[in-house]
Amino acid sequence: MRRLSLRLVLGLAALTACEQGGTPTDPPLQPTIDAQLRGLIGNWGVVPIGPMPVQNPAQVELGRALFFDKILSGNRDVACATCHDPSAALSDGRSLPVGTGGIGMPAARRLGPGRQFIPRSAPTLLNAGLGLYALFWDQRLNGNQGQFHVTPDEPIPLGLPNILSAQAMLPVLNRHEMRGEPGDVDVFGHPNELAQPGDQEAPAVWNAVMARLMAINQYVTMFNAAFPGEGRVGFDQAARALAAFQMQEFTKTRSPFDRYLERDDAALSLPEKRGALLFFGKAQCSTCHNGPFLGGQQLANVGAPQIGPGGTRQPPLDLGRGELDNNDFYQFAFRVAPLRNVELTAPYFHSGAFRTLDEVVHHYNDVTKSLSEYDPSRLDPDVRPLYRGDAGTVSAVLGTLDFRLRRSLGLTEAEMGDLVTFLKALTDPSARNLSAVIPASVPSGLPVSR
Amino acid sequence: MSARALPLGAFLLAIGAGPAAAQLIAIRSVPISQSHQFDLFPSLRMGMGGVSIAVDDSLHDPFSNPAKGVRLGASSFFGSPGLYSVSRGAGAGRTLPLGTWLRSGNWFGGAAIAVQQIDLSHQANFFPPCAVCAQPLTQDALPGNPFPTQLPATDRSHGNAFGYAMLGRTVPALGLSVGASVEWAGLHGVDGVDLLYPRSAGLTQRGHELDLRLGALKQWEGGRALSTVLVHNRFAATHDVSDLDGFWDPGTQSFAQRLRLEENQDQTNTWGAQVEYSWPLRAPGWRLGWVATTNLMSHPKIPNYEIQNIPRDPGNSQAFNLGVGLSKTAEASTFALDAVYEPIWSYTWADAASPVQTSGGLTIPAGGKTIENRFRFANALLRMGFSQDLPFDQSTRQFGFQLGLAVHRIGYSLVQDDNVQATTRHAHESWVEWTPTWGMSLKFPGWELRYRGSVTNGTGRPGVFPNNVTVATPDAAGGTILVAPSGPLTMTGVRVMTHQVAISFPFRSGGTRP
Repeated sequence: MRRLSLRLVLGLAALTACEQGGTPTDPPLQPTIDAQLRGLIGNWGVVPIGPMPVQNPAQVELGRALFFDKILSGNRDVACATCHDPSAALSDGRSLPVGTGGIGMPAARRLGPGRQFIPRSAPTLLNAGLGLYALFWDQRLNGNQGQFHVTPDEPIPLGLPNILSAQAMLPVLNRHEMRGEPGDVDVFGHPNELAQPGDQEAPAVWNAVMARLMAINQYVTMFNAAFPGEGRVGFDQAARALAAFQMQEFTKTRSPFDRYLERDDAALSLPEKRGALLFFGKAQCSTCHNGPFLGGQQLANVGAPQIGPGGTRQPPLDLGRGELDNNDFYQFAFRVAPLRNVELTAPYFHSGAFRTLDEVVHHYNDVTKSLSEYDPSRLDPDVRPLYRGDAGTVSAVLGTLDFRLRRSLGLTEAEMGDLVTFLKALTDPSARNLSAVIPASVPSGLPVSR
Repeated sequence: MSARALPLGAFLLAIGAGPAAAQLIAIRSVPISQSHQFDLFPSLRMGMGGVSIAVDDSLHDPFSNPAKGVRLGASSFFGSPGLYSVSRGAGAGRTLPLGTWLRSGNWFGGAAIAVQQIDLSHQANFFPPCAVCAQPLTQDALPGNPFPTQLPATDRSHGNAFGYAMLGRTVPALGLSVGASVEWAGLHGVDGVDLLYPRSAGLTQRGHELDLRLGALKQWEGGRALSTVLVHNRFAATHDVSDLDGFWDPGTQSFAQRLRLEENQDQTNTWGAQVEYSWPLRAPGWRLGWVATTNLMSHPKIPNYEIQNIPRDPGNSQAFNLGVGLSKTAEASTFALDAVYEPIWSYTWADAASPVQTSGGLTIPAGGKTIENRFRFANALLRMGFSQDLPFDQSTRQFGFQLGLAVHRIGYSLVQDDNVQATTRHAHESWVEWTPTWGMSLKFPGWELRYRGSVTNGTGRPGVFPNNVTVATPDAAGGTILVAPSGPLTMTGVRVMTHQVAISFPFRSGGTRP
């Protein structure tokens, strides 16, 4: 028995010696695509969007009227909806917008005599009320919780509840967008009194706009209903109403991807999931397009072609954030756009340089090549002459290109196809048709053309 | 073993070590520690490494095969309080079983009850703190919030209850005994289940196990014995899991959390059969035996573990063991060893909840199989033990001790077909678990006291990589736990220490105990 015991112990020892190191030999098993994807998503702070609280109905209706009423523009010829057209996913479908003084309907809108294009494309207002920290292509407006700041300084009233209401204070101040130039006359041939105050007299402009509105009984009634007991009227109330309207009507967060975030694995198709894996992985999109909005937080020079009249520092170049901050780091850096509903908001980038997501993805795959070989024929004919494709401009843009884009991503055509498929899965179906938000008429009696 | 990373996609199936683990074959694909939570009742041989093939265990055998109740001897009361603890604060439990054996003529029977308290794992010791989880709930502030606002209470401890009854009859002229037993367990805490949901905010378990056995024992003159037992085991448990999900709240324009409740079901049905035969060898004191066991398991429901890749999907397993045992008894000493080979085949799959497009452009219809796992286990179990009784008062009082060792080698290969991505993966995994055991006994004319202990090494408890995913598994109370980890799995090495004290009082003379 003693010998037997000894043999047994030796046998056990030999067995153990064989096994101590573990024996995982083959390549590890791959998690399912959902497991991979959810793991990746979790790394980038991408979370579902909760329900938007119901906004004050009276404010929503006032905001709706204001949004579509051209009375807010100095020449009574453009409304917010002119450049943020519900039929164009709250953009205008153009590379560069045409502001006040333009001619024609949005889709075929053209510059009026002596006018110039707005330097940057009209960003969509879809989901603009979710609580982004910064707005505008150069993020000139930022802040939260009632503290907002504009660069360069504008006297934004204190106490505005959200950044969208702060944003709504600004377009009426912009001479190219809504306000007009001194000496302009409105569509009725009357002098444009909103254009009279100087460029540093924002309160005077806001007061002038309010004077117009308060001359219309229906607006008086609507303001009183929307802001009872406040004892005054001011353009900040108009801005708050505009924000309430946009938050109520333009929040579109029920995309297939949103349903996937809420643990519905079947919400995305396999190609969409493959594209999402690329988005959050190899293609590195999520290094900028992350967080709850898939973007909107950062600035980056993505090598977008230079198109348009340019900024003020080095015209005709548009330095983006570099217009505001004298810092090489921000040269040609623009806001990283939030991506929900991106399928609907073409053209893309601050200059509206690309008309399809496929073009955008190809651009990102090899930015240097794309920028160097950019074909302006894809632009609207009236914008085409404003393309700056000379070697110096291309070199300047590439000089501060985001480091992540300095080498080709190496995506295959199939991968880029999957990526586009995923981007289309960010579309809330209800965002495809926004015609229901358009009122039949507005209190001013001006036509509700967009 | 510490912080050992396992291959992705590993599969875990654990069939519990109930009162008769020998008839229910444990299947595990990751070296998860077994807490012996369901090892409730007294045993003569557990201190000897659990040897059982060529030696009898008159205290424990009736729970395995009710026909073996014929060997119980005198009617008696017994109690066998026990406790276990998993190192690193990974779990603990205490159990108090009380029971009686009755013998009247050719009839024999027994009944037992047990209450048990299971402590949750101290997850804070195991996992990195969850920063998000520490934030307060804010969903109360959301108008129209459809989510519950109160986290369910999660006690640190849970109580289980067990009941057991057995009845048998012997026909001395034929040397034949038959018996039947039923065991029922009401479960509110299964060790380690909380580790399945490491990021959950709360977990409530409820379930039951039913174990039915029909056994026969044929004993011949000269010591040969043949026994058979049929087993039907049904395990069903529900895990009510509360999770806090982060989301962006447009109302407050900030991150917030909301509560999500999920009900996961864990069900396994097992049919098993075992045949055991032993006989004395010509050499005095030597005995040889063999055992053959088969388990057919279906998993109509499995839990939907956190971030796993095969949610709520079925499977089935065929598990077998073939073992031989040898023992030598000389006066008051006994040496025994067992060698068992366990071939196991398991097949699980994932059902498509809705039509799924494959990478090849085909469509898997709802209910079709999106993932198929084929496991092939080849496990080996070696047990050896020694016991010695030492009379210290003219043979009416005895002191005894036992020493033993059980070594369990588990190895398997896995082929995983992903029918959606049209890929096939292979994996191999193996490890060895060591369980030294020990025991002592004191026998007096009117009562008997036994102690046994064991410590299992070579296993671990699952952990989570901070930014990634999780899979964990507990022991199972006769239930099936099926996990396909969706990411890197980290095992933190632990030891499981078990202690049990058993005391019995014959309440009338008669019969003998081997």
